[in-house]
Formats: sequence, structure tokens, C-alpha cells
Amino acid sequence: MSCCLSNSGIPYVDMRAPPRRLWRQNMVGSEHIEMIPSPKKKVWSAQVNGTPVEVLVPSNAVLLDVLRDKVGTLGVKRGCDLGTCGCCTVMVDGNPRLSCLCLAGQVEGSVITTVEGLADGAHLAPIQSCFAEHGGSQCGFCTPGFLISAQALLNENDSPTDKEIACAIEGNLCRCTGYQQIIDSIKGAAAIHRGEVEAAAPASDPHPDPHPEGPEEPNMPPGHAR
Amino acid sequence: MSGGYRQQPGGSGPTTRKDGKRVAGKQSFPPPGSGGSRPHMKPRDLDFIPESVGGKEEQPAGSHIHDRARTGTTVGKEIPLVDSNAKVTGQAWYGDDVRLPNEIIGKILRSPHHYARIKSIDTSRVEALPGVLAVATGEDSPHRFGVLPVTKDEHAMAVEKVRHVGDLVACVAAVDEATALEALNLFEIEWEVLEPVFDPKKGLEDADEPIHWRGKYHLSKTNVQKRVFQEFGDRSLVDKPHAESHGKWSMAGVHHGFTEPHAVVAHWGPNGRLQLYTPQQVPHYTHRALSTVLDVPMHQINVIRTFVGGGFGGKSDPFPHEMCAAILARKAGRPVRITFDREEVYWINRGRHPSHIEVKMTADEEARISGFDIDALIDGGGFASFGHVTSYYNGVLATAPYELGSFHYTGARVWTNKPASGAMRGHGAVNTRCAVEVGLDEMAETMQVDPIDLRLANLLPPHSRTISGFRITSNGMREALEKVREGSNWDEKFRQMPLGKGIGIGCGFFISGSGLPIHWDPNRFPHATVHIQVDMDGGVTVHTGAADIGQGSTTAVAQVVSEVLALPIEMIHVRSHESDTSPVDLGSYSSRVTFMNANAAIRAALEIREQLLNAAWEILGYHPDNLVLNDRRIYYKHDPAIGVSYLKALHKAQEDKGSLIASGAYRSPPMGGVHKGAAAGLAPAYSFSAYVAEVDVDVETGMIRCTDVWAAHDCGKALNPMAVKGQIIGSCHMGLGQVLSEKMVYGRTGHLQNANLLDYKIPSVHEMPHVEPIIIESCDPEGPFGAKEAGEGPLLPILPAVVNAVYDAIGIRLRDLPLTPDVVFKGIEKTLKNSDVEDPLDLPSPRLTHSSLQPTLVARAQEHKLRDKARQRTEDTSPYVNGVLFGFDPTIPLEDQVEGWRTATEPDPEQLAELGLAGRAWLKKEQREMGGEN
Amino acid sequence: MLMPPFVLHNPTTVEEACAIAGSLMEKGEDFDWVAGGTDLLPNYKWHLNPKPHVISLARIEGVNTLSLHEIGCMARLADLTVENGIHPLIVEAASKVASSLIRRNATLGGNLCLDTRCFWYNQGEDWRRSIDWCHKADCGTGADCRVVPNQNTLCVATYQGDIAPTLMVLDAEVHLIGPSGLRTMPLQEFYQLDGMKKNVLEKGEFLLKITLSEASAARTGSYQKLRVRDTWDFPEAGVAASWIAGDATSLKVATTALESIPRCHPEEVTSVLEAGWDGMNSVKALAAAVRKSVKPVNNTSLPPRYRKSMVRVLTKRAVEKMIE
Repeated sequence: MSCCLSNSGIPYVDMRAPPRRLWRQNMVGSEHIEMIPSPKKKVWSAQVNGTPVEVLVPSNAVLLDVLRDKVGTLGVKRGCDLGTCGCCTVMVDGNPRLSCLCLAGQVEGSVITTVEGLADGAHLAPIQSCFAEHGGSQCGFCTPGFLISAQALLNENDSPTDKEIACAIEGNLCRCTGYQQIIDSIKGAAAIHRGEVEAAAPASDPHPDPHPEGPEEPNMPPGHAR
Repeated sequence: MSGGYRQQPGGSGPTTRKDGKRVAGKQSFPPPGSGGSRPHMKPRDLDFIPESVGGKEEQPAGSHIHDRARTGTTVGKEIPLVDSNAKVTGQAWYGDDVRLPNEIIGKILRSPHHYARIKSIDTSRVEALPGVLAVATGEDSPHRFGVLPVTKDEHAMAVEKVRHVGDLVACVAAVDEATALEALNLFEIEWEVLEPVFDPKKGLEDADEPIHWRGKYHLSKTNVQKRVFQEFGDRSLVDKPHAESHGKWSMAGVHHGFTEPHAVVAHWGPNGRLQLYTPQQVPHYTHRALSTVLDVPMHQINVIRTFVGGGFGGKSDPFPHEMCAAILARKAGRPVRITFDREEVYWINRGRHPSHIEVKMTADEEARISGFDIDALIDGGGFASFGHVTSYYNGVLATAPYELGSFHYTGARVWTNKPASGAMRGHGAVNTRCAVEVGLDEMAETMQVDPIDLRLANLLPPHSRTISGFRITSNGMREALEKVREGSNWDEKFRQMPLGKGIGIGCGFFISGSGLPIHWDPNRFPHATVHIQVDMDGGVTVHTGAADIGQGSTTAVAQVVSEVLALPIEMIHVRSHESDTSPVDLGSYSSRVTFMNANAAIRAALEIREQLLNAAWEILGYHPDNLVLNDRRIYYKHDPAIGVSYLKALHKAQEDKGSLIASGAYRSPPMGGVHKGAAAGLAPAYSFSAYVAEVDVDVETGMIRCTDVWAAHDCGKALNPMAVKGQIIGSCHMGLGQVLSEKMVYGRTGHLQNANLLDYKIPSVHEMPHVEPIIIESCDPEGPFGAKEAGEGPLLPILPAVVNAVYDAIGIRLRDLPLTPDVVFKGIEKTLKNSDVEDPLDLPSPRLTHSSLQPTLVARAQEHKLRDKARQRTEDTSPYVNGVLFGFDPTIPLEDQVEGWRTATEPDPEQLAELGLAGRAWLKKEQREMGGEN
Repeated sequence: MLMPPFVLHNPTTVEEACAIAGSLMEKGEDFDWVAGGTDLLPNYKWHLNPKPHVISLARIEGVNTLSLHEIGCMARLADLTVENGIHPLIVEAASKVASSLIRRNATLGGNLCLDTRCFWYNQGEDWRRSIDWCHKADCGTGADCRVVPNQNTLCVATYQGDIAPTLMVLDAEVHLIGPSGLRTMPLQEFYQLDGMKKNVLEKGEFLLKITLSEASAARTGSYQKLRVRDTWDFPEAGVAASWIAGDATSLKVATTALESIPRCHPEEVTSVLEAGWDGMNSVKALAAAVRKSVKPVNNTSLPPRYRKSMVRVLTKRAVEKMIE
């Protein structure tokens, strides 16, 4: 036996005590929870990022696992798997939800938006470009979750106060930024949503600039001058 | 002038022909770079070109060697990280996002015992389970590895013994996760349970079976992994102190808490080469360790660094699970993916050492700091990791920014049966720094002077030498202190706020790159190498091994190349993921990347630039000295109309040799003393920081809320102010976690009680104060464009600033970190008990009446300010060493000036009796001195 | 963190749910209910007492009612944080539960039936194997309690729900339904002292809704929660107080996160009232009495001694704020 608790209730760890039984790693009786066989698989369908998907999943599947392993939306991140870090946040019928704590069977048939579904083709959503511009993303692992939480907030409220922003992202954990630049990013995106600021040209937009020729060469090929 | 052309400035006459085409040579627009009205004619961005080369960028510290390479393109500008679009679109690929065809899942069997000998492992039932494709145990990995060559004490899986709960015992790979998990239950293992050690104090004593055995270098039969003794200066100064402070600290271990759990994918390719995908800060050390453990030459391994979801030091060791994945993949012949649960992340740990730190300090009647006496006992857990270095850093990184009369440090790192401690942001410096800064606050209180003035009057100047021989170059400490004092309205708040509200100061000092690379002699290899390749398409490919862990090192490298070549940053493509294509780089630790890699990148870019300018010279006929690079164009300095496009110049340069290729390297200059351990803490530059924190303390519950932080950090030159601010604020967050809520809780049975993110309490958005990041630019003479580190140093000051602020709020000095509400409440209860006050709401809050020393200090600080300014601008280049404040002549060795001055790395026999807790390790003898075996 | 295999049932009516439960019981198959999943799924991921069947309440129609007098079990906590007719005291407590994201999933029923927590219990399977299991999840070993050893009968895991104490001081009634029909009782009687049994729910029964009477709706009060971070954290101690404004005799106080069940403190209130209501002095006396009556053990983040001391402060603040 590795550790015992003494009769007096005072804890001690007696490692020299003779083993109560030969300590084996494997189970005796039901000393662990059986992992196989897995329950029967069923077809699970939903609309993910605008596309209908149908995949075969076990009955006890968790939405996060389905999205990552079956649907292939690897932008949804697994940080703690227990609902604290918020990296796995996705929008389910417009509500930000922790996909690690959602049974796939409970949200079958719903409309799901992951980080991959925020941009319009190559055109970044304002919240995405603002996260890049304001430094809202450092290592980037928590970013997908923050983006969904923030987008859900902006969908409901395009002029959130600092307090409202904080409450919207209180379920997301960021270890890099200290949240301040994330709040700045959300404020920046809110201004774009309100139409006060024009969205910056998205850098991911397939675009000719920068042409190595430079902007003002007389022999610049057509179509590259701005 | 062959091949050249002139653009004529716009003028009279028609500019278009009848058919609508332009008249050759007649341009109707003002010349590029001359500041025409159209956006593409923007002139050189003079705001971002230093004064010394004709721009408008202020240079309070004078000119810099890289000034001539500045083009005003990106350096100093707030630009998004170059990989941020990948991150905001979900395309960044982290460890677990690597999904190779035909992959199988690996799982690790972990020790249920704190300390036990493995008598036998029977894997037959595991192998018999359908779906299991590979099984491996310690027998498959007999070779030791470890991040430091001197302390290789890890195996892929336990050989002979397990050393903590969660230590790796064996691993399996199976077709799916469920099968792999089930397989773990089928191992049959016989254990012999051994007596574990949890308390580091116990680790100092002889044990029946030390956790590791170091042969003739083993210290008696203790669990001491490393002991350090360092003494500098004149110890007689401390005998009659005018003021002193003595604090015993106990600091809990903290974890990096990165959001991405460790994950690794290993695949032996068709040609028998290993491809290993891993989120590593230091891919090169993993590369080396893999080669050793697998017995495969390094060139047969390609380590691919994925995106790293936060590192902070926690992903800088070569890890056993990386070896496991490679071993399993080799056995199964299929790609193996291993992803950790959060619990496993805490078990592999490498977080900040739980520490017992004792700091004594004294000041003389002029309020000069006559001595620091530091003793640090750090709990290393089951393995050495970076601990050898941590043992030194806990002492030596406290030798600045203050001028000291003497310095005495004893440190010891012990093995215990807990997850291994290692390097974490602010490696080794954080805990001692907190103790030292709080000690200074206490001394200021005794002397009745303002703690900021006490600091200002005791700073080492720029271009000086610390008591331990570190070479200080640029130093923005004074400015940082002044800025936070002003920003926080310190003079109106300190010791003047009501009970429960407090304000406190803390400073920081950190290395910017380690002067001595861990794995090789710097005389044989450089610290960093960067390759640049420019082909006919004009795009610039930069190869570097620097690992971007979110801090923006890729962006920094791209920025400096873009700056030197005057190209938009979109034209710079940094390739840093694969060891096959990247030059060897030591990776992202010790805050070395900006300083070393960017320096190497500048060197390579300058080489390319020279080739381009020579080509332009050939085309335009003007000597490169008279040519200017600006936004994809090279032109004559005095007439921007005379020029050539970047692409033309590039093609000209390529005529005879094809694509332009340059390699740049950085090697730090020789520095430092010769005493044992002199290399620890040596860096080509140091960062400085000062924070003021304001807190609210609920005296009834002991809850602390930090409301505001003014955070000034001297990063030399902010290459990207947005990124620097992000680092400062992020550091505040992490440090605040350590000082207020984060701790690894080892319960009464030695088990880690809170191995999850709910119970390991990282501050949320609600706990985050408003942080005012203040960037101080002292322009380091050797830094890339003057830059120094900004990733780790900013963490240091927040801890003491908060602790000092809590004292200001409630008048109680607390020395148990973290200051969770129960710790604070206990302190309050104790104070109430010892005074007549009954209700905590009636506690007195501390007040300050200045003594006669205060004006002396202010005057001295004023005098030093002028001295520092002259030295910073190199108007005064006279030598300065620690000790001048005490009246020494810097040109003569200090030993020759006073009899008591000494440099010692071992205690004198008569000192042995009075050594502190960790110092007791010096009472033990090494096995070889005892005539022990081996 | 793969969950052990189980079959998920998705009934759409209360009757269907009861029928599934009934048939599983007949077959002798064990099962759990799941509402939002924020409590059950972490436990299952840790392999804590998983069952081969899980019946989801998420798709049942009509169990998410939201009004002043009635709240259905599937009402999401996020919806309880908005004051559209919900009792302000419930709103106060609900908005202090975990994080905004958890509240989107979590439900009232789940929160009231929250599994008790303990740091010897809420751990992964490997971890619990290393302590040789514990009483609450002994995996068939008959392991002892790790908090209070050598008693082997009682589980002392702590109930850490926020909403129960507020509903208690509002005199809420719970309605339970199962194969054997519906029953109603005051919430105070719902909880049963043992960290494993937790409440009076029989196998096959689930909590359908809570109701508040007119008199309850007229009450005002306050809920004070002790936690290190303003999000995520379970309460380390929690005190709710309510009264019918101005009437000291109507005062009720309940605590949570201190023992295996949340509970009301009528005796302490009575003893203070007997001495005659004397404003702040009575508040202080009450706070001291409530503090004395609770017995936290060492199984949450903060030490029990501290949590106990804080009950005094929390009670004082709750009553003070209630009086305001």
C-alpha cells in the first residue's frame, strides 16, 4: 500500500509498511472503469459552418470530439476538457457553448459555428482582424474560443461596456495577453459593427500587394498599380 | 549608367500621346519617396528613422550601430504578428492538430506511487488485447537524457525506479483511445515501495535511497542535486547596520498554465527517418535527446515544431513523452499521436520551484545597501531539468540593479518525490526578486525614507559592472522608476491612503539571452544563425530555428529583415518549423530570441542589402553610401527621382549567381569573471523594470484585489510596441497569479491536489487590474536596433509591488506566497491578537514621516541621474564597477583596495556554522571526498 | 479524457423519460440523468461512478419554464441571470455561478442536484488509483474516506451549489417526478445528509421544477459567495438571507458549500430573535451563531478554518445588504 491514513486521523504516509496485497497495476475485481467496447455508433447530423454534416459517432460522444475528430474543424481547441478554459467554445444555434461539456446527442440537428466559420471566405470578420491588429492573440490557442464568445456578444450588443465584455469572456482563459488587448480587440470590432470605423482591408484577402516591383515603377505590369 | 534610367520629375509638355499611352520619360507624378499626395509616394517614414541618420526618431541614448540599417519600414511600428491571421482563422496547427493518415493513439501508464522500484513488468496481457499495436517500457529506452548536459537524469520511461506519482512507467499505442486506455489497465507490475521525500528540508538530510545517484559527485547520501555558494565584496560592511531587514519566505510552486496541453506526433517516414511534430520551445534539445535515446544520428531526425499554444518555459525540456511517441511509432510502423490530459500536464510540470528563501539585508548610515545575504532552498521535484541553472539564478540575478557593498548567496536544489520543477518565465529570478524588493521596502520603512528614492539613490549606472562581474550595458532602471512614480501619482498616495487601500513598488532585472549556450562552446558555434534567401520573385525567405511560442519571435525576425531591406513585411516569409530547413537555434528560453536571432537576421539581411546596393550602384552609377532604400526602391539620396526598383536591382544582383543567399550569425562577446559559476546569469544585455501596483484589501475576508498597475519596462527598443505591451500586460497577469492565487497544492500525502484548471487558480478577466504599460527605450548598444528582452523581465516586479502594496494597505508584511485570502486573514488575525484592536476595520494603516536621510537620498539620486545620463549617451566612458558608491576606485582591482574584499565560491570552514537553510548543504561532503565508491 | 461507454437516451416528454427510467430499472440497468452536462460530464470524464445509460432531459418539452412562481429544471442558468420576472435573489445567485459560458449549458435542476465535491474525489482515474481510491468512488474496493478516515460510512464531500440556499430562504418547493408519480416538498427537505446520497431523489426520479408561493415572491434578500476568482470557482462558502422587508421575524438564513448539504439555520435565527431584534448587534450575534453551527471539512480549495470564519462575515454582509 502506498499511502494510508492513521487511526488517530492524523495523516501519515508509511511507505515501509508491508503491502496489504501485492500491489499490481492491473485491476482486481472492478478496480477500474472499463473503456471498451464502445457503445453502438449512430449517424449524427448537424449544420457546421453552413455545411450539413453527417458522421458516425458513438452514443456517448462529446461535441468537441465529434468536431475535432469527425468533422475536422481542428480550429476548435481542447485545453482543459472540463469546461474551464473555454478554448472549445463554439456557437450552437447562435449561443456560445462549451463543446467539451456538450453531448453531441443533445445538440443534434443544430446549427454550429466554429472559428472556421467566422470569416466570409477569405474576408476576415471584424472580430478576427481586430484580434490580429490589437494583439488579442499571442500564442493563439485560446483565440478560437475568445472569438466565438466575442462574436456572440457582438451579435447581441454592438456597443458593449467594459463590464459586459468582461462578463462575456469570463469563461475563457488566456494565459498570454492578460486580457487587456483582447478587450481592446473586441472594442475595436464593436466599433466596426456599429459602422463607426471601417474595417481594415483583410490581409488574408488574396491581393496583389505587395508586388515586388514597388508601387510606382513606370514599367509596372498592368493591374498592379494602386 | 548601363541599364539605368532617369525618371524626370513632372513638368511642362504633354504627358500622354495621342493614343493615350504615356510619353516615355515624362512622368506626371512627383518622384517616389518625395512625399507626393498619392499614398504610394509616401516619403521615407522619418518618424521611424533615427536622428543620427537624419530622421526624426528621438535617441535619448545616442546613436546606435544599426541606425544606418534603418529604413523606417516596420521597426518601432505596431504591426500585427505575422502569424496572427493563421491564429484567428483557426488554421494555426498545434500539437494535437497534426493528424497524419493511418495514425494510432498512444497513451502513457503512470506511476501510482511516489517512489518505488519496479521489480517486474508483465506486458503479455496488454499485447494480447486486440487493437494494441505497440507496447514499450523502460527497457526500450535505456539511454538517459536531460536538458542540461551536466544533469542528464531522465529516461523515456522509468528504468528501475519511479520518482513521483505520474512518472512514466510504460506506454501503449492502439487503434483508438478507448483501446489504449483499456490496455493501460492490463499491465502487471510488481513494485517495491520506497520511502518518499516531499519536504525539501528533509531532502538536505541523508536518505536510505537518494532519488538519484550521482556517483562520486553525490553529496553524501542526501537528495541535494546542486549547491551553490557565492560571496563577493566586503562582508565587514554588514556588521554595524544602520537599518536591516530580515525575511523568511515560503513560496509555493507554480505552473506555466499554458492553454495547450502537451501533444506529440511521431512518424518514421518511408526512408526510415523520424518526423516528430511537437509544440516545443526548444526543438533543438529535443532533437539531440531523440538522437541519444533512439540511437539514431541527428540528421535522420526531423523535428517539426508545431504552433506552440503557450510555453512560458514549460515546453523547453526534451520530454519523455516525445521519446515514447517515437519509440511506439517505430515499433508499430505507424504514426503515433499522444495528447496529454490536463492532469498529465501538471505531472510533467517543470514549473517554478517551490522555494524557501531567506533574505537579510543591511544599509549603512548613508542608506547605501551594504549587504545582501540570500539563502534559497528550492524544491526540484523528481528530476534535474533546468535546476542546475535555477540554483544559480536564485542568487546571482539579485546582484543588480542596485549597487551593493557585499553579496552572499547560498543555494541548494533538492530532489523530492514530486513532479519536476524547471524553468518558468522569469527563470529563477522571480522569487528572490520578490524577497529582495520587499526587504528594501522594509529597510526604507525603518530608515523613514521613500522606497522609490531609496532605490533611485542606489542604482548601478549604465555601462557598469555588478558585484558578481556581470557587464551592464544599457540601463533604463532610473527612467522606469521615475515614470511609474509619476504615472501612479505615487507621492500623493504612498502611506497616505485609508485602511484597505495600498500602493507598492517593485523592480526587476533580467537577462536578455544567456551568454553561455547550454550545449556547446560559444567559441565553436554561434548562439544563433539565420539564413536568408531571395529568389527572382523578390520574396524573401528567412530560415531560423527560433521557436515562436506566441511571443512573436517570427514577427521580430520578419520585422528586422523587412526593415533592413525596406520591403513590406508581407514579402518576408519566415520558415522556422522544421529542423531540416532551419539553421540550428537554441530555441526560446532565457529571453534570448529577440536579442540573438534578430541580431543574426540583421547581419544576414545586411549582406543581402549590400548585394542589392552593389547592383544598384552598377545600374545607377552612385556609390551605395549615397543610395537609400525605401519601399521596394533604391534611389539616389539627393534626388529620389534617380533610382531603380528593388526587383531590378535584385535581378541585376542575381545575374551571375542566381538567388541571393546570406547567412548571419550572432555570438555574444566574451564577458564575465572566472570564478566558479561566473557564467550563470551572464548575458549580453539586461532588461530593467519598475512597477507600481495599487490594491484593495478586504480586511474582513483577506481578499486582495489589484486594481491598477503602472508597468515600466526597459526593453532597449520596442521593435513592435504592440507586442511589447502585450508581453508586459501578460507578464503582469502571470505574476499576479503567482502572488495572489496560483499554487501547486501538495496535500498531506504528497499528492498534487489541484491538477486541473479549475482548482489551479489562474486569474480571470475579472481579477485583472488595469495595466498601464510604459515602454522605456534605453537603446542597447549591442541589441538589434537597440532592443532587449521584454518577455520575462516584466513578470518580476509585479510580485513585490503587490506584496508591498498590501503592506501599505493593512500594515502587515506577509511572506507566504500566494497571498490567498486565508493567508491574509491569518496575518490579520495574528496582528489583531498581538494588538488591542478587536475589529479588523480598526487596524491602523502605516504612515510615513520622512527622516533626515530623505533629503540626502533625493540629492544623491539627483546627482546620479546626471551621471547616468552622461554614461548612457557615452559622453562619459570612464569605467564603473559596483563599489564606486562606497568610495572605491574603479580602475584598480577591488581586492587590492580593501583587505576584506573577496570573491568566493566555497564557504570558509569558519563560515559553515552560520550558513542558512540551503547553506546546510555545505556541511555535507561529496562521495569522492568521503572515499565513496565510483 | 475519454468517457466510459454509455448509451444516451433522448426522451422528448416527461412521460417518455419516466418510461425509459422505468424500463431500465426493470432490466436492472443503472443510469444517470443529464441536463446541461456541466456537472455530470466532468465526472464522467474523470471516470467517477459512470453508468451504462444516461437519460438526457435536454429535449423534453415544457420543462424550461421561467417565471416568478415557477422555474423548470431545464431552465438555463444564463436565463436566470436576466431579471425578466425572476426573483432578484435567484438572479443574484445565478449570476454568481461559475462562468458565463458554463451558465449557458448549466441548468437549475443540475445546480440543485449538483454532485458533492471533494479534492480526493474530483480527480482522474490514475490519480485516484494513486491514493487507492476513496469512499465515494471506491471502484469496488470498499475504500475508506480520505477526509475523515476510519468511519467508512459517511461521505463528507461538500455540496457547492449557489442557488439552493437562495431558494431555501425563499421557501421554494421542489417537484420531483418519476415512474411512481409526482411528489412535492419544501427544498429544505430535499437534501439528505450524506455526500453520496445527497438528496431524497429515488432511483428513476428527477427534479421537475421549483415553485415559489406569493409570500416567497414578496421576500427580499441577498446572497454572499466566497470565492477566489469572480468566475469559474465554486463557492468556498455561501450565505443567503431573506425577509419580508421590515419584518425581522420573517428572517431566514441558509448556508452552502460548508457541508454535504445546503441548509437553513432556523435555530440560530430563532435564538437571536428571542433575545429581541437589535439591529446591527443582532446581525452580529446571528453571524456568530451561524458561524458556530457549520462544520466545514478540508476538501475544497480554502482551508476549513478560514471558510468557517468567513461564514460570520458573509452572514453579516448578507443580512446587512438585505436590510438595505
